[in-house]
Amino acid sequence: MGKLIDLANSFYSENKRLVAPLLGFPGVKLAGSSIKLAQQNHKEHFKVVSSLVGKFSPDIQFVLMDLSVEANALGLNTIFPPNESATVLKKNKEFCLDDLSLLRDVEFDSDGRLLSYVRTVKLMKHEFPSDVKVGAYVSGPYTLTGLIVGAQEAGLMVAREPDKLEKICTFTTECIVKYTKLLLSAGVDTVCVLEPSGVMLGPSHFRKFSAVNVKEIVEICHRGNVDCVYHVCGNSMHLIEEMVQSGVDALSLDSKDNNVNLLEVANNVPKKIVIIGNMSPTKTIIYGNPEEVKSEVRDLLELMDRFSNYVLSTGCDLPLETPLDNISAFMQTGRNYVVSSGN
Amino acid sequence: MSVLEEMQENVVAGNESKVVELTQKALDEGLAPEKILNDGFVPGMEIVGRKFQENEIYVPEMLMAARAMKAGMKLLEPFLTEAGIEPIGRIVIGTVKGDLHDIGKNLVAMMLEGGGFEVIDAGVDASPQKFMDLVKENKPDILCLSALLTTTMGEIKKVIDAFKENDLRDDIKIMVGGAPLTDDYSKEIGADGYSPDAASAVDLAKELLGK
Repeated sequence: MGKLIDLANSFYSENKRLVAPLLGFPGVKLAGSSIKLAQQNHKEHFKVVSSLVGKFSPDIQFVLMDLSVEANALGLNTIFPPNESATVLKKNKEFCLDDLSLLRDVEFDSDGRLLSYVRTVKLMKHEFPSDVKVGAYVSGPYTLTGLIVGAQEAGLMVAREPDKLEKICTFTTECIVKYTKLLLSAGVDTVCVLEPSGVMLGPSHFRKFSAVNVKEIVEICHRGNVDCVYHVCGNSMHLIEEMVQSGVDALSLDSKDNNVNLLEVANNVPKKIVIIGNMSPTKTIIYGNPEEVKSEVRDLLELMDRFSNYVLSTGCDLPLETPLDNISAFMQTGRNYVVSSGN
Repeated sequence: MSVLEEMQENVVAGNESKVVELTQKALDEGLAPEKILNDGFVPGMEIVGRKFQENEIYVPEMLMAARAMKAGMKLLEPFLTEAGIEPIGRIVIGTVKGDLHDIGKNLVAMMLEGGGFEVIDAGVDASPQKFMDLVKENKPDILCLSALLTTTMGEIKKVIDAFKENDLRDDIKIMVGGAPLTDDYSKEIGADGYSPDAASAVDLAKELLGK
Protein backbone atom coordinates (compact mmCIF):
# COMPACT_ATOMS: atom_id res chain seq x y z
CA MET A 1 0.00 0.00 0.00
CA GLY A 2 1.24 3.50 -0.83
CA LYS A 3 2.50 6.10 1.59
CA LEU A 4 -0.03 8.15 3.51
CA ILE A 5 1.11 11.47 2.03
CA ASP A 6 0.65 10.16 -1.52
CA LEU A 7 -2.79 8.88 -0.66
CA ALA A 8 -3.75 12.19 0.98
CA ASN A 9 -2.51 14.12 -2.07
CA SER A 10 -4.30 11.76 -4.41
CA PHE A 11 -7.60 12.15 -2.55
CA TYR A 12 -7.10 15.92 -2.51
CA SER A 13 -6.57 16.02 -6.25
CA GLU A 14 -9.99 14.38 -6.54
CA ASN A 15 -11.43 17.01 -4.16
CA LYS A 16 -11.83 14.43 -1.39
CA ARG A 17 -10.43 13.87 2.09
CA LEU A 18 -9.07 10.83 3.84
CA VAL A 19 -11.21 10.20 6.92
CA ALA A 20 -9.59 8.33 9.77
CA PRO A 21 -10.90 8.98 13.29
CA LEU A 22 -8.93 7.43 16.17
CA LEU A 23 -11.61 4.85 16.59
CA GLY A 24 -11.45 1.67 18.63
CA PHE A 25 -13.46 1.39 21.84
CA PRO A 26 -16.90 2.16 20.33
CA GLY A 27 -16.39 -1.09 18.37
CA VAL A 28 -16.66 -2.97 21.65
CA LYS A 29 -20.32 -1.91 21.91
CA LEU A 30 -20.90 -2.66 18.27
CA ALA A 31 -19.45 -6.16 18.55
CA GLY A 32 -21.05 -6.92 21.91
CA SER A 33 -17.67 -7.50 23.49
CA SER A 34 -15.70 -5.93 26.35
CA ILE A 35 -12.46 -3.95 26.35
CA LYS A 36 -10.90 -6.45 28.75
CA LEU A 37 -11.67 -9.36 26.44
CA ALA A 38 -10.60 -7.60 23.26
CA GLN A 39 -7.31 -6.44 24.76
CA GLN A 40 -6.40 -10.01 25.67
CA ASN A 41 -7.87 -12.13 22.89
CA HIS A 42 -6.83 -11.44 19.32
CA LYS A 43 -9.93 -12.96 17.70
CA GLU A 44 -12.19 -10.90 19.95
CA HIS A 45 -10.02 -7.86 19.20
CA PHE A 46 -10.36 -8.51 15.48
CA LYS A 47 -14.14 -8.87 15.87
CA VAL A 48 -14.24 -5.40 17.49
CA VAL A 49 -12.18 -3.59 14.85
CA SER A 50 -13.96 -5.48 12.04
CA SER A 51 -17.29 -4.22 13.29
CA LEU A 52 -15.96 -0.66 12.98
CA VAL A 53 -14.69 -1.20 9.45
CA GLY A 54 -18.01 -2.84 8.54
CA LYS A 55 -20.08 0.06 9.86
CA PHE A 56 -17.94 3.12 9.22
CA SER A 57 -15.36 2.24 6.51
CA PRO A 58 -12.59 4.50 7.78
CA ASP A 59 -9.50 4.95 5.58
CA ILE A 60 -7.26 3.82 8.42
CA GLN A 61 -8.38 1.39 11.11
CA PHE A 62 -6.19 1.14 14.18
CA VAL A 63 -6.14 -1.59 16.79
CA LEU A 64 -7.49 -0.61 20.22
CA MET A 65 -5.43 2.09 21.90
CA ASP A 66 -3.59 0.46 24.79
CA LEU A 67 -0.64 2.09 26.49
CA SER A 68 -0.06 -0.90 28.70
CA VAL A 69 1.00 -3.43 26.04
CA GLU A 70 4.78 -2.94 26.23
CA ALA A 71 4.84 -2.23 29.97
CA ASN A 72 2.75 -5.33 30.64
CA ALA A 73 5.08 -7.38 28.41
CA LEU A 74 7.93 -6.22 30.65
CA GLY A 75 6.12 -7.71 33.64
CA LEU A 76 4.71 -4.51 35.14
CA ASN A 77 1.62 -4.94 37.24
CA THR A 78 -1.35 -4.25 34.98
CA ILE A 79 -5.08 -4.26 35.74
CA PHE A 80 -7.87 -5.09 33.30
CA PRO A 81 -11.18 -3.42 34.20
CA PRO A 82 -14.05 -4.86 32.09
CA ASN A 83 -14.70 -1.73 30.09
CA GLU A 84 -11.73 0.54 30.51
CA SER A 85 -8.41 0.22 28.80
CA ALA A 86 -5.84 -1.85 30.69
CA THR A 87 -3.85 0.27 33.14
CA VAL A 88 -0.34 -0.12 34.53
CA LEU A 89 -0.26 0.29 38.30
CA LYS A 90 2.20 2.67 39.89
CA LYS A 91 5.35 1.20 41.38
CA ASN A 92 5.88 1.79 45.06
CA LYS A 93 9.63 1.50 45.10
CA GLU A 94 12.20 3.71 43.46
CA PHE A 95 13.55 2.39 40.17
CA CYS A 96 17.30 1.84 40.02
CA LEU A 97 19.55 0.86 37.14
CA ASP A 98 19.90 -2.68 38.55
CA ASP A 99 16.17 -3.05 37.87
CA LEU A 100 16.93 -2.25 34.25
CA SER A 101 19.18 -5.29 33.92
CA LEU A 102 16.31 -7.41 35.29
CA LEU A 103 14.00 -5.98 32.66
CA ARG A 104 16.60 -6.72 29.98
CA ASP A 105 16.32 -10.42 30.87
CA VAL A 106 12.61 -10.46 30.07
CA GLU A 107 11.77 -12.11 26.73
CA PHE A 108 9.78 -9.04 25.83
CA ASP A 109 8.81 -10.04 22.31
CA SER A 110 7.50 -13.46 23.41
CA ASP A 111 4.81 -11.97 25.63
CA GLY A 112 1.37 -13.44 24.95
CA ARG A 113 -0.62 -10.23 25.06
CA LEU A 114 1.86 -8.31 22.92
CA LEU A 115 1.74 -11.13 20.39
CA SER A 116 -2.06 -11.04 20.47
CA TYR A 117 -1.84 -7.44 19.16
CA VAL A 118 0.50 -8.65 16.42
CA ARG A 119 -1.95 -11.42 15.53
CA THR A 120 -4.80 -8.91 15.43
CA VAL A 121 -2.84 -6.79 12.95
CA LYS A 122 -2.16 -9.88 10.85
CA LEU A 123 -5.86 -10.72 10.74
CA MET A 124 -6.78 -7.12 9.93
CA LYS A 125 -4.29 -7.05 7.08
CA HIS A 126 -5.55 -10.37 5.75
CA GLU A 127 -9.28 -9.77 6.10
CA PHE A 128 -9.89 -6.04 5.65
CA PRO A 129 -10.61 -4.53 2.23
CA SER A 130 -7.33 -3.57 0.57
CA ASP A 131 -8.19 0.14 0.62
CA VAL A 132 -8.30 0.25 4.44
CA LYS A 133 -4.90 0.99 5.93
CA VAL A 134 -4.13 -1.12 8.99
CA GLY A 135 -2.75 0.90 11.89
CA ALA A 136 -1.15 -0.07 15.19
CA TYR A 137 -0.01 1.91 18.19
CA VAL A 138 3.27 1.66 20.05
CA SER A 139 4.12 3.49 23.28
CA GLY A 140 6.48 6.44 23.03
CA PRO A 141 9.93 5.95 24.61
CA TYR A 142 9.41 8.58 27.31
CA THR A 143 5.84 7.44 28.10
CA LEU A 144 6.96 3.83 28.48
CA THR A 145 9.78 5.03 30.72
CA GLY A 146 7.19 6.89 32.81
CA LEU A 147 5.16 3.70 33.14
CA ILE A 148 8.24 1.84 34.35
CA VAL A 149 9.58 4.39 36.84
CA GLY A 150 6.41 6.44 37.53
CA ALA A 151 5.35 9.54 35.57
CA GLN A 152 6.26 11.96 38.34
CA GLU A 153 9.57 10.24 38.99
CA ALA A 154 10.40 10.42 35.27
CA GLY A 155 9.65 14.14 35.38
CA LEU A 156 12.01 14.61 38.31
CA MET A 157 14.68 12.49 36.62
CA VAL A 158 14.63 14.90 33.67
CA ALA A 159 16.10 17.53 35.96
CA ARG A 160 17.97 15.45 38.55
CA GLU A 161 19.21 12.31 36.81
CA PRO A 162 19.17 12.92 33.06
CA ASP A 163 21.85 10.28 32.35
CA LYS A 164 19.88 7.60 34.17
CA LEU A 165 16.72 8.65 32.38
CA GLU A 166 18.49 8.54 29.03
CA LYS A 167 19.62 4.96 29.71
CA ILE A 168 16.07 3.90 30.52
CA CYS A 169 14.71 5.66 27.42
CA THR A 170 17.32 3.87 25.30
CA PHE A 171 16.11 0.59 26.77
CA THR A 172 12.43 1.38 26.19
CA THR A 173 13.26 2.34 22.61
CA GLU A 174 14.91 -1.06 22.08
CA CYS A 175 11.68 -2.69 23.29
CA ILE A 176 9.48 -0.51 21.10
CA VAL A 177 11.69 -1.24 18.08
CA LYS A 178 11.28 -4.98 18.72
CA TYR A 179 7.51 -4.58 18.89
CA THR A 180 7.51 -2.40 15.77
CA LYS A 181 9.41 -5.08 13.85
CA LEU A 182 6.80 -7.65 14.85
CA LEU A 183 4.02 -5.32 13.71
CA LEU A 184 5.81 -4.81 10.40
CA SER A 185 6.14 -8.53 9.89
CA ALA A 186 2.38 -8.81 10.50
CA GLY A 187 1.77 -6.38 7.64
CA VAL A 188 0.93 -3.13 9.43
CA ASP A 189 0.63 -0.07 7.14
CA THR A 190 0.87 2.68 9.75
CA VAL A 191 2.59 2.74 13.14
CA CYS A 192 1.50 5.49 15.51
CA VAL A 193 3.84 6.37 18.36
CA LEU A 194 1.80 7.44 21.41
CA GLU A 195 3.76 9.86 23.55
CA PRO A 196 1.18 11.42 25.89
CA SER A 197 3.68 12.05 28.70
CA GLY A 198 5.92 13.94 26.29
CA VAL A 199 3.63 16.95 26.47
CA MET A 200 4.98 17.68 29.96
CA LEU A 201 8.47 18.30 28.60
CA GLY A 202 10.07 21.40 27.13
CA PRO A 203 11.39 21.17 23.55
CA SER A 204 15.00 20.30 24.39
CA HIS A 205 14.04 17.55 26.85
CA PHE A 206 11.40 16.24 24.46
CA ARG A 207 14.07 16.01 21.76
CA LYS A 208 16.50 14.22 24.08
CA PHE A 209 14.13 11.73 25.71
CA SER A 210 11.53 11.21 22.99
CA ALA A 211 12.18 12.52 19.46
CA VAL A 212 15.77 11.24 19.13
CA ASN A 213 14.53 7.79 20.09
CA VAL A 214 11.45 7.98 17.89
CA LYS A 215 13.85 8.54 14.98
CA GLU A 216 14.96 4.93 15.42
CA ILE A 217 11.36 3.70 15.26
CA VAL A 218 10.84 5.82 12.14
CA GLU A 219 13.89 4.26 10.47
CA ILE A 220 12.56 0.76 11.12
CA CYS A 221 9.17 1.75 9.71
CA HIS A 222 10.71 3.32 6.62
CA ARG A 223 12.80 0.24 5.91
CA GLY A 224 9.49 -1.62 5.66
CA ASN A 225 7.86 1.21 3.64
CA VAL A 226 5.48 1.81 6.54
CA ASP A 227 4.28 5.23 7.71
CA CYS A 228 5.13 6.44 11.18
CA VAL A 229 2.85 8.88 13.00
CA TYR A 230 3.73 10.88 16.14
CA HIS A 231 0.82 11.43 18.53
CA VAL A 232 1.15 13.69 21.55
CA CYS A 233 -1.94 14.43 23.64
CA GLY A 234 -2.72 17.91 24.94
CA ASN A 235 -1.19 21.17 23.84
CA SER A 236 1.85 20.05 21.83
CA MET A 237 2.36 23.35 19.99
CA HIS A 238 5.77 23.86 21.62
CA LEU A 239 6.92 20.43 20.40
CA ILE A 240 5.92 20.50 16.73
CA GLU A 241 9.43 21.29 15.43
CA GLU A 242 10.96 18.46 17.47
CA MET A 243 8.29 16.03 16.30
CA VAL A 244 8.96 16.96 12.67
CA GLN A 245 12.73 16.59 13.15
CA SER A 246 12.23 12.97 14.22
CA GLY A 247 11.50 12.19 10.57
CA VAL A 248 7.93 10.95 11.06
CA ASP A 249 5.51 10.94 8.16
CA ALA A 250 2.60 12.40 10.06
CA LEU A 251 1.61 14.32 13.18
CA SER A 252 -1.59 13.37 14.99
CA LEU A 253 -2.62 16.33 17.13
CA ASP A 254 -5.11 17.00 19.87
CA SER A 255 -8.10 19.33 19.66
CA LYS A 256 -8.38 23.11 19.77
CA ASP A 257 -9.78 22.76 23.30
CA ASN A 258 -6.22 21.91 24.23
CA ASN A 259 -5.04 25.04 22.40
CA VAL A 260 -3.71 23.14 19.39
CA ASN A 261 -3.88 25.44 16.37
CA LEU A 262 -4.05 23.04 13.43
CA LEU A 263 -3.95 25.85 10.88
CA GLU A 264 -0.75 27.27 12.34
CA VAL A 265 0.82 23.80 12.35
CA ALA A 266 -0.18 23.18 8.73
CA ASN A 267 1.25 26.55 7.73
CA ASN A 268 4.58 25.78 9.33
CA VAL A 269 5.41 22.14 8.70
CA PRO A 270 6.75 20.81 5.39
CA LYS A 271 4.03 19.70 2.98
CA LYS A 272 5.40 16.16 2.94
CA ILE A 273 4.24 15.75 6.57
CA VAL A 274 0.63 14.67 6.97
CA ILE A 275 -1.43 16.52 9.57
CA ILE A 276 -4.01 14.33 11.30
CA GLY A 277 -6.66 15.77 13.57
CA ASN A 278 -8.32 17.22 15.50
CA MET A 279 -11.98 17.20 16.47
CA SER A 280 -12.39 17.08 20.22
CA PRO A 281 -13.07 13.50 21.37
CA THR A 282 -14.66 14.68 24.61
CA LYS A 283 -17.23 17.31 23.63
CA THR A 284 -19.71 17.42 20.76
CA ILE A 285 -19.03 13.90 19.49
CA ILE A 286 -19.97 12.50 22.91
CA TYR A 287 -22.53 14.97 24.20
CA GLY A 288 -23.83 16.59 21.01
CA ASN A 289 -26.26 15.31 18.38
CA PRO A 290 -25.40 14.27 14.79
CA GLU A 291 -26.30 17.72 13.40
CA GLU A 292 -23.92 19.42 15.83
CA VAL A 293 -21.20 16.90 14.92
CA LYS A 294 -21.71 17.58 11.22
CA SER A 295 -21.45 21.32 11.74
CA GLU A 296 -18.22 21.02 13.76
CA VAL A 297 -16.65 18.63 11.22
CA ARG A 298 -17.58 20.97 8.35
CA ASP A 299 -15.93 23.89 10.16
CA LEU A 300 -12.76 21.84 10.59
CA LEU A 301 -12.73 20.74 6.95
CA GLU A 302 -13.23 24.31 5.78
CA LEU A 303 -10.42 25.50 8.02
CA MET A 304 -8.05 22.95 6.48
CA ASP A 305 -9.44 23.15 2.96
CA ARG A 306 -6.28 24.41 1.23
CA PHE A 307 -3.97 21.77 2.68
CA SER A 308 -3.51 18.64 0.60
CA ASN A 309 -1.54 17.02 3.44
CA TYR A 310 -4.49 16.88 5.82
CA VAL A 311 -6.42 13.85 7.11
CA LEU A 312 -9.71 14.38 8.94
CA SER A 313 -9.56 12.73 12.34
CA THR A 314 -10.21 13.16 16.04
CA GLY A 315 -7.74 14.79 18.41
CA CYS A 316 -7.46 11.63 20.46
CA ASP A 317 -9.08 8.22 20.86
CA LEU A 318 -12.87 8.15 20.94
CA PRO A 319 -14.25 6.84 24.24
CA LEU A 320 -16.47 3.78 24.56
CA GLU A 321 -19.58 5.87 25.23
CA THR A 322 -19.34 7.83 21.94
CA PRO A 323 -22.79 7.55 20.27
CA LEU A 324 -22.52 5.50 17.09
CA ASP A 325 -24.82 7.96 15.25
CA ASN A 326 -22.31 10.73 15.98
CA ILE A 327 -19.47 8.65 14.53
CA SER A 328 -21.62 8.05 11.44
CA ALA A 329 -22.22 11.81 11.21
CA PHE A 330 -18.47 12.43 11.45
CA MET A 331 -17.70 9.89 8.71
CA GLN A 332 -20.52 11.00 6.45
CA THR A 333 -19.56 14.67 6.64
CA GLY A 334 -15.95 13.82 5.87
CA ARG A 335 -16.94 11.65 2.92
CA ASN A 336 -19.40 14.15 1.47
CA TYR A 337 -17.16 17.18 1.80
CA VAL A 338 -15.89 18.51 -1.50
CA VAL A 339 -12.53 20.21 -1.21
CA SER A 340 -12.89 23.59 -2.89
CA SER A 341 -9.23 24.32 -3.50
CA GLY A 342 -8.14 20.88 -4.78
CA ASN A 343 -8.45 20.59 -8.55
CA MET B 1 20.47 40.02 47.91
CA SER B 2 18.34 39.36 51.00
CA VAL B 3 17.85 35.86 52.33
CA LEU B 4 14.21 35.91 51.15
CA GLU B 5 15.15 37.04 47.65
CA GLU B 6 17.74 34.29 47.57
CA MET B 7 15.08 31.87 48.77
CA GLN B 8 12.71 32.88 45.95
CA GLU B 9 15.47 32.40 43.42
CA ASN B 10 16.32 28.92 44.72
CA VAL B 11 12.67 27.85 44.88
CA VAL B 12 12.38 28.80 41.19
CA ALA B 13 15.60 26.91 40.40
CA GLY B 14 14.32 23.85 42.30
CA ASN B 15 17.39 23.79 44.53
CA GLU B 16 16.01 21.75 47.43
CA SER B 17 19.05 21.69 49.75
CA LYS B 18 19.69 25.40 49.28
CA VAL B 19 16.04 26.25 50.07
CA VAL B 20 16.24 24.24 53.31
CA GLU B 21 19.53 25.97 54.19
CA LEU B 22 18.04 29.40 53.48
CA THR B 23 14.89 28.64 55.50
CA GLN B 24 17.08 27.80 58.48
CA LYS B 25 19.16 30.92 57.87
CA ALA B 26 16.03 33.10 57.76
CA LEU B 27 14.79 31.55 61.02
CA ASP B 28 18.21 32.04 62.59
CA GLU B 29 18.17 35.69 61.54
CA GLY B 30 14.94 36.05 63.52
CA LEU B 31 12.61 36.62 60.57
CA ALA B 32 8.96 35.94 61.42
CA PRO B 33 7.75 32.57 60.03
CA GLU B 34 4.83 34.33 58.33
CA LYS B 35 7.25 36.70 56.57
CA ILE B 36 9.37 33.78 55.38
CA LEU B 37 6.24 32.14 53.96
CA ASN B 38 4.70 35.24 52.40
CA ASP B 39 7.86 36.95 51.15
CA GLY B 40 9.93 33.85 50.36
CA PHE B 41 7.94 30.78 49.35
CA VAL B 42 4.72 32.35 48.07
CA PRO B 43 6.34 34.82 45.63
CA GLY B 44 8.82 32.10 44.60
CA MET B 45 5.98 29.77 43.63
CA GLU B 46 4.15 32.66 41.94
CA ILE B 47 7.18 33.13 39.69
CA VAL B 48 7.18 29.39 39.00
CA GLY B 49 3.49 29.53 38.05
CA ARG B 50 4.01 32.51 35.77
CA LYS B 51 7.02 30.94 34.05
CA PHE B 52 5.00 27.75 33.52
CA GLN B 53 2.08 29.63 32.00
CA GLU B 54 4.45 31.51 29.70
CA ASN B 55 6.16 28.26 28.55
CA GLU B 56 9.48 29.31 30.06
CA ILE B 57 9.52 26.18 32.20
CA TYR B 58 7.72 22.85 31.95
CA VAL B 59 6.47 20.13 34.30
CA PRO B 60 9.90 18.73 35.34
CA GLU B 61 11.15 22.16 36.39
CA MET B 62 7.86 22.85 38.15
CA LEU B 63 8.11 19.55 40.03
CA MET B 64 11.63 20.42 41.15
CA ALA B 65 10.54 23.86 42.36
CA ALA B 66 7.56 22.41 44.22
CA ARG B 67 9.72 19.82 45.92
CA ALA B 68 12.20 22.48 46.99
CA MET B 69 9.38 24.58 48.41
CA LYS B 70 7.92 21.57 50.22
CA ALA B 71 11.29 20.77 51.81
CA GLY B 72 11.56 24.32 53.11
CA MET B 73 7.93 24.28 54.29
CA LYS B 74 8.56 21.12 56.29
CA LEU B 75 11.13 23.03 58.30
CA LEU B 76 8.95 26.12 58.57
CA GLU B 77 5.60 24.51 59.46
CA PRO B 78 6.19 23.94 63.21
CA PHE B 79 7.15 27.61 63.56
CA LEU B 80 4.03 28.73 61.68
CA THR B 81 1.87 26.56 63.97
CA GLU B 82 3.64 27.86 67.06
CA ALA B 83 3.08 31.43 65.92
CA GLY B 84 -0.62 30.68 65.35
CA ILE B 85 -0.43 31.45 61.61
CA GLU B 86 -3.45 29.99 59.82
CA PRO B 87 -3.35 28.83 56.19
CA ILE B 88 -5.37 31.03 53.82
CA GLY B 89 -7.71 28.13 53.20
CA ARG B 90 -8.10 24.38 53.54
CA ILE B 91 -8.42 22.13 50.52
CA VAL B 92 -9.20 18.46 49.94
CA ILE B 93 -7.85 17.22 46.61
CA GLY B 94 -7.99 13.88 44.80
CA THR B 95 -8.19 11.97 41.54
CA VAL B 96 -11.62 10.42 41.03
CA LYS B 97 -12.61 6.76 41.06
CA GLY B 98 -11.19 4.56 38.31
CA ASP B 99 -8.36 6.97 37.59
CA LEU B 100 -4.87 6.22 38.86
CA HIS B 101 -3.13 9.31 37.46
CA ASP B 102 -1.67 11.63 40.02
CA ILE B 103 1.02 13.84 38.51
CA GLY B 104 -1.40 16.69 37.69
CA LYS B 105 -3.18 16.36 41.01
CA ASN B 106 0.15 16.34 42.87
CA LEU B 107 1.36 19.42 41.03
CA VAL B 108 -1.84 21.30 41.85
CA ALA B 109 -1.52 20.21 45.49
CA MET B 110 2.07 21.42 45.69
CA MET B 111 1.28 24.73 44.01
CA LEU B 112 -1.63 25.27 46.42
CA GLU B 113 0.64 24.57 49.38
CA GLY B 114 3.12 27.02 47.92
CA GLY B 115 0.26 29.50 47.68
CA GLY B 116 -0.40 29.28 51.40
CA PHE B 117 -3.19 26.68 51.49
CA GLU B 118 -3.40 23.62 53.70
CA VAL B 119 -3.91 20.60 51.48
CA ILE B 120 -5.38 17.21 52.39
CA ASP B 121 -4.67 14.63 49.71
CA ALA B 122 -7.36 12.00 49.03
CA GLY B 123 -4.98 10.20 46.65
CA VAL B 124 -6.07 8.48 43.44
CA ASP B 125 -9.07 6.27 42.61
CA ALA B 126 -11.06 8.10 45.30
CA SER B 127 -14.78 7.31 45.55
CA PRO B 128 -17.51 9.91 46.18
CA GLN B 129 -17.86 8.43 49.68
CA LYS B 130 -14.15 8.97 50.37
CA PHE B 131 -14.42 12.62 49.34
CA MET B 132 -17.52 13.07 51.52
CA ASP B 133 -15.82 11.44 54.51
CA LEU B 134 -12.73 13.64 54.14
CA VAL B 135 -14.85 16.77 53.78
CA LYS B 136 -16.94 15.93 56.87
CA GLU B 137 -13.77 15.21 58.83
CA ASN B 138 -11.64 18.17 57.74
CA LYS B 139 -14.23 20.84 56.87
CA PRO B 140 -12.24 22.29 53.94
CA ASP B 141 -13.19 25.44 52.04
CA ILE B 142 -12.59 23.86 48.64
CA LEU B 143 -12.74 20.39 47.11
CA CYS B 144 -10.47 19.86 44.07
CA LEU B 145 -11.33 16.98 41.74
CA SER B 146 -9.04 15.68 39.01
CA ALA B 147 -9.49 13.22 36.11
CA LEU B 148 -7.07 12.48 33.30
CA LEU B 149 -9.13 10.05 31.27
CA THR B 150 -12.17 10.57 29.13
CA THR B 151 -13.49 7.38 30.71
CA THR B 152 -13.26 8.81 34.23
CA MET B 153 -14.27 12.45 33.74
CA GLY B 154 -17.88 11.39 34.34
CA GLU B 155 -16.86 10.37 37.86
CA ILE B 156 -16.36 14.05 38.72
CA LYS B 157 -20.06 14.65 38.13
CA LYS B 158 -20.86 11.65 40.34
CA VAL B 159 -18.91 13.24 43.21
CA ILE B 160 -20.69 16.57 42.77
CA ASP B 161 -24.07 14.80 42.59
CA ALA B 162 -23.25 12.83 45.75
CA PHE B 163 -22.47 16.08 47.57
CA LYS B 164 -25.83 17.51 46.43
CA GLU B 165 -27.75 14.39 47.44
CA ASN B 166 -26.18 14.45 50.89
CA ASP B 167 -26.76 18.17 51.50
CA LEU B 168 -23.03 18.91 51.54
CA ARG B 169 -22.82 20.91 48.31
CA ASP B 170 -23.73 24.32 49.74
CA ASP B 171 -20.96 24.18 52.33
CA ILE B 172 -18.08 23.86 49.89
CA LYS B 173 -16.62 25.24 46.67
CA ILE B 174 -15.71 22.63 44.09
CA MET B 175 -13.03 23.17 41.45
CA VAL B 176 -12.09 20.67 38.77
CA GLY B 177 -9.24 20.00 36.35
CA GLY B 178 -7.57 17.42 34.14
CA ALA B 179 -6.72 16.92 30.48
CA PRO B 180 -10.16 16.05 29.04
CA LEU B 181 -12.04 18.70 31.02
CA THR B 182 -13.12 22.09 29.77
CA ASP B 183 -14.64 25.19 31.30
CA ASP B 184 -17.97 24.43 29.60
CA TYR B 185 -18.02 20.90 30.97
CA SER B 186 -17.25 22.12 34.49
CA LYS B 187 -20.25 24.48 34.33
CA GLU B 188 -22.47 21.73 32.94
CA ILE B 189 -21.74 19.40 35.84
CA GLY B 190 -22.17 22.12 38.44
CA ALA B 191 -18.59 22.82 39.54
CA ASP B 192 -17.69 26.27 40.83
CA GLY B 193 -14.57 26.57 38.72
CA TYR B 194 -12.22 24.91 36.23
CA SER B 195 -8.48 25.31 36.11
CA PRO B 196 -6.54 24.43 32.95
CA ASP B 197 -3.21 24.07 34.78
CA ALA B 198 -1.57 23.90 38.18
CA ALA B 199 -0.52 27.54 38.22
CA SER B 200 -4.02 28.85 37.49
CA ALA B 201 -5.40 26.56 40.20
CA VAL B 202 -3.89 28.78 42.90
CA ASP B 203 -5.48 31.92 41.42
CA LEU B 204 -8.82 30.17 41.07
CA ALA B 205 -8.74 28.88 44.65
CA LYS B 206 -8.00 32.39 45.95
CA GLU B 207 -10.75 33.84 43.75
CA LEU B 208 -13.29 31.29 45.01
CA LEU B 209 -12.49 32.27 48.58
CA GLY B 210 -12.46 35.98 47.77
CA LYS B 211 -8.78 36.33 48.74
